[in-house]
Amino acid sequence: MPKTLHQPSGPAAIRSKSLNKPGRGLLFYLYRDRYLYLFLIPAMSYFFLFKFVTLYGELIAFKDFRLLDGVWGSPWVGLKHFHTLFSSSEFWNVLRNTLLLNLYNLVFAFPAPILLALLLNELRVNWFKRAVQNMLYLPFFISWVVLAGIIVSLLSPSTGVVNAALRLFGIDPIYFMTSTLWWPVVFIVSTIWQSAGWGTIIYMAAISAIDPGLYEAAKIDGATKLRQIWHITLPGIRGTIGVLLVLQMGKMMDVGFEHIFNLQNAAVFSVSDVISTFVYRTGLQNAQYSLATAVGLFQALIGLILVLTVNKIVKKLGEGGLW
Amino acid sequence: MVKRLKSMPLYLFLALCAFITVFPLLNILAMSLSSSRAIISGEVVLWPVEITVQAYKQLFIDGQLLIALKNTVIITAVGTVLQMIATTLAAYTLSKRRLKGRQIFTFMVMFSMLFGTGLIPLFLLVKQLHLINTFWAIWLPGLVSAYNLFVMKSFFEGLPAELEESATIDGATDLTVFVKLTLPLSKPILAAISLFYAVALWNTYSNALYFISKSQLLPVTVKLYQMLQTPIDSLLAGGDSSQYIQPEGLKAAAIIITVLPILCVYPFLQKHFIKGVLLGSVKG
Repeated sequence: MPKTLHQPSGPAAIRSKSLNKPGRGLLFYLYRDRYLYLFLIPAMSYFFLFKFVTLYGELIAFKDFRLLDGVWGSPWVGLKHFHTLFSSSEFWNVLRNTLLLNLYNLVFAFPAPILLALLLNELRVNWFKRAVQNMLYLPFFISWVVLAGIIVSLLSPSTGVVNAALRLFGIDPIYFMTSTLWWPVVFIVSTIWQSAGWGTIIYMAAISAIDPGLYEAAKIDGATKLRQIWHITLPGIRGTIGVLLVLQMGKMMDVGFEHIFNLQNAAVFSVSDVISTFVYRTGLQNAQYSLATAVGLFQALIGLILVLTVNKIVKKLGEGGLW
Repeated sequence: MVKRLKSMPLYLFLALCAFITVFPLLNILAMSLSSSRAIISGEVVLWPVEITVQAYKQLFIDGQLLIALKNTVIITAVGTVLQMIATTLAAYTLSKRRLKGRQIFTFMVMFSMLFGTGLIPLFLLVKQLHLINTFWAIWLPGLVSAYNLFVMKSFFEGLPAELEESATIDGATDLTVFVKLTLPLSKPILAAISLFYAVALWNTYSNALYFISKSQLLPVTVKLYQMLQTPIDSLLAGGDSSQYIQPEGLKAAAIIITVLPILCVYPFLQKHFIKGVLLGSVKG
């Protein structure tokens, strides 16, 4: 992590403490900070309504939800929907795909920005560096609908440029989007295309916070560029890698809906259907509210457990972790 | 000189990476401007072949994409303002250490980052609030990003406390301090965060897919999705066969229209974005 930019100064903390003199009633503070509390209303109503009231809606995972009866009026059915889920092969397939695609992401897409940042860091010609960076960041700002549209067009067996290139080498056109073998590859490569460049920003910042003296010393000791990267740069950005790893692990149960949904088609359902698309289909399209909520709840709980666990591990390894 | 030559492969490799990144965009742009014949025979790579704006004309005559574009402009403009108001006010307040109950509020935000609400409970809530088929269904469920909130909060915490102190002694209320002192000092972060929000709104997709079914209200992303999925001739009313356009060309043009505004502003905004990310890497 780069050095903290803005740390509240010590005296400020003391001063604010002395403002909160003991023996004052709640009303005093409410009045004194009335504008501040007023300021909080929009955001806190949002969090209350959309993050906490919706928790109440999770109850329908344990009920047979009927729209007319509402959340509370619908009858309890205990773990029925979870039983249905765990005994359906569709659910296991969806879960497997979710984990597999995430695993590929972790193995192939997670290291990509680290490598890219290490390379970019070696560039000495500034205008060149900036130009390359600007191009690499670009796809991050484009929605998956657009990116997916471009990907499908590029990979089209009849008019796509990729297959045209393959033809030049005498290779038969490949049906990338409808092949269960190629689809995961398209998924991973598109993930890297969209976010690897953007991901370098944070690593570049971490690298620039490393003491240049270390490199000087290493050079004097005759360390090659590779050795410097291995012994100085990588250890220097360990903390950053750790934090981003925790965040990535937290998403293990959640493959971006928009990315998958826009690339998906009937031919590759068996490898591309994931929890988020499953929830959309069963819940919103087939109105099986309770079942879809059960999946969502399962996903959220596993995700929470994963973040907490990995954060703990990262901390044990001597890095800061997320909190 | 020797040293320079040694790093040549590195420069070439990164230039190649950059090229591969933008190539798909250039290819689709070229396709959108090429004739059907050139597209079918696979001649289009980087430059348009047999240049024509027929595809764009067709889209403009049809007009559906333009309505969607207008919706997206409204969604983005109003949405960004709403999100910025809610986020900035809350971030400013949470940056004040003297505030009673600060931890509770901060915890609420933290918790929302860790435990995601499922789609169905959210859908039922939006339905109950009668927001289905209104833009509010896009604005409200994403009103505040916890991440952006924390970024702003840590920025405000870094502003010199002395300024506020002296203003308070002169009799300024929190309201005056906020408007007259904090906001003018916070232009960089305000720019960065509002850009993040605006880009996200421009790209709004899933919330619109979940909550909006009226064709007239769809944003450009969902409209584009429909165009990409359906055989194109059924999309355009009164298709004249002599004017028939290769669907690939039409789809390419629709993609370009959707993404063009972002491409146009990107060069100017890019430095603000980076600032935003770097501030974000400071722990909340």
